[in-house]
Amino acid sequence: MIKIKNLSYQYPDGSSALDSITLNIRKGEFVAIAGKNGCGKSTLLRHINGLLPPTEGSVIVKRMDTSDPINLQEIRRTAAMVFQDPQSQFIGMTVEDDVAFGPENLSLPSAEIKRRVSTALESVGMSGYRYNTPRTLSGGQKQKVALASVLTMEPEVILFDEVTSMLDSNSRVDILSLIRQLHEAGTTIVYVTHLIEELVHADRLVLMEKGCIIQNGNPREIISKISSGSFGFDAPPIIELSKKLVGAGIIKSSFLPLSKDELLEAICRLK
Amino acid sequence: MNDLFLSFVPGKSFLHRLDPRTKVLGLMAVSFCILKVSSFEIMALMAIIFAILVIACHLPFLHFVRSVRPMLPFFTFIFLMQLLFTEGTHLFDFGLLKGTYEGFLLGSILALRFIFLILFAALITATTSPSGITSGIERLLRPLPLKYLGISSHDLAMMMSLSLYFVPMLFDSFRDLRDAQISRGLDIRKEPVKAIMSLTVPLVRMALRSVDEVALAMESRCYTGEGRSSMYVLEFRSLDYALLVFYCVLLFLLYI
Ligand SMILES: Nc1ncnc2c1ncn2[C@@H]1O[C@H](COP(=O)(O)OP(=O)(O)OP(=O)(O)O)[C@@H](O)[C@H]1O
Ligand SMILES: [Mg+2]
Repeated sequence: MIKIKNLSYQYPDGSSALDSITLNIRKGEFVAIAGKNGCGKSTLLRHINGLLPPTEGSVIVKRMDTSDPINLQEIRRTAAMVFQDPQSQFIGMTVEDDVAFGPENLSLPSAEIKRRVSTALESVGMSGYRYNTPRTLSGGQKQKVALASVLTMEPEVILFDEVTSMLDSNSRVDILSLIRQLHEAGTTIVYVTHLIEELVHADRLVLMEKGCIIQNGNPREIISKISSGSFGFDAPPIIELSKKLVGAGIIKSSFLPLSKDELLEAICRLK
Repeated sequence: MNDLFLSFVPGKSFLHRLDPRTKVLGLMAVSFCILKVSSFEIMALMAIIFAILVIACHLPFLHFVRSVRPMLPFFTFIFLMQLLFTEGTHLFDFGLLKGTYEGFLLGSILALRFIFLILFAALITATTSPSGITSGIERLLRPLPLKYLGISSHDLAMMMSLSLYFVPMLFDSFRDLRDAQISRGLDIRKEPVKAIMSLTVPLVRMALRSVDEVALAMESRCYTGEGRSSMYVLEFRSLDYALLVFYCVLLFLLYI
């Protein structure tokens, strides 16, 4: 679905943000990308969305090269992006306007736009806020609207750039369960985060440092290898605990329990 | 809670169903009338028409009170300026301040004009979704030779609606900034120059940054500035045509 080959990027001021990245993402995959602040995660996503042209190398989305301006509209429709800051991604004055903005740009007929807007608002549970001003919604509601706004373009890939970083834990759980539903329905997900507990859902974890990919593989294997504090994230207590329990041989599990439920299950199996 | 100032009140009334172009043109026609007339009788007539429209469309009067309220200090200022600085028959003396009868009339007319302009604008925004207004303006601008200026009518309409969206956002940012600076010990009365600098510099920086981010978000959602469609199709019905003729007659009678 997405083929990134030897991608390097320097910002116009000369600072190097990506250094020879090679990454393939298959259709229907859930790929998590993690790494310290400033390691280039957002820059990488912007390349997949066609917002930045590669300095070197290539980014191919569904056989379309992002360096060819002719493809950009179709690339952005295919691989849509939800941004980190819930505030600054709104364009419409009402929720409805904002959600309709994408399909309007695709010149879809009015009836089809209305259908998509209703379906998208329905699926994120925001139908009741259709005529509200996005500015007056809570952070979690804003991100749901932002998600609905890309759903109306019916993308095959959705890129999420730390979308939960400004939310409390309840809204975070809400958004994550919406994302998992989308994944189960066949959407390819690229999810940038620096919260280890969110990686549990991913099929694959890509760790970045200083513009390079340093790990790429099974999330559990990678998490069990790294120590807390490295790569810009702290392992939550639950993972520290399961690491210790597995390390001391108290729990015999073929994999490292990453969540409360998994740890509980492993402990119950002891009896 | 929704925004209070010039916001949309969803509904199904005849004003809601009018073509946005008819309403935008209607607002222009009404504005010309308001600027032209200076008799209280016609002002009263307008108030009655306005009230009938509001009732017929099942809109809450409170909504319009809220739309006018933020501007009240400005209207009061205009009224007082006219009242105190117009030559004519003395109405009252208040130390150095002298109010005149002519000033009172002129001030009331001026203030009423502004109030009616706001009220009718609020009536249009209350009954038209923002995207309807944008696409209405876009279609009205389309015949203009804008492409020689290097912009499309989509761009211009987009700019208008974005600035409508940005102004309240800037107010919000300003309030946050002021609170932040005050909590860090800024005393606006003691050091006004420093206070203004410490508020405007970050505000401008914030505004520029959010412009960048919104531009990125628009691009990311396939905006190109041309060849867009609209969720609401614009369509003139017989009532729209009737009203357009009515505007023409009205303006003809007023100005010729
Ligand atoms: N517009 C820009 N101009 C110049 N340099 C930039 C720009 N945006 C980012 N950078 C630099 O590029 C590097 C990668 O930035 P990027 O935003 O991709 O990091 P990130 O991994 O998304 O970080 P975060 O976790 O903070 O979001 C950083 O060193 C940053 O300073
Ligand atoms: Mg980032």
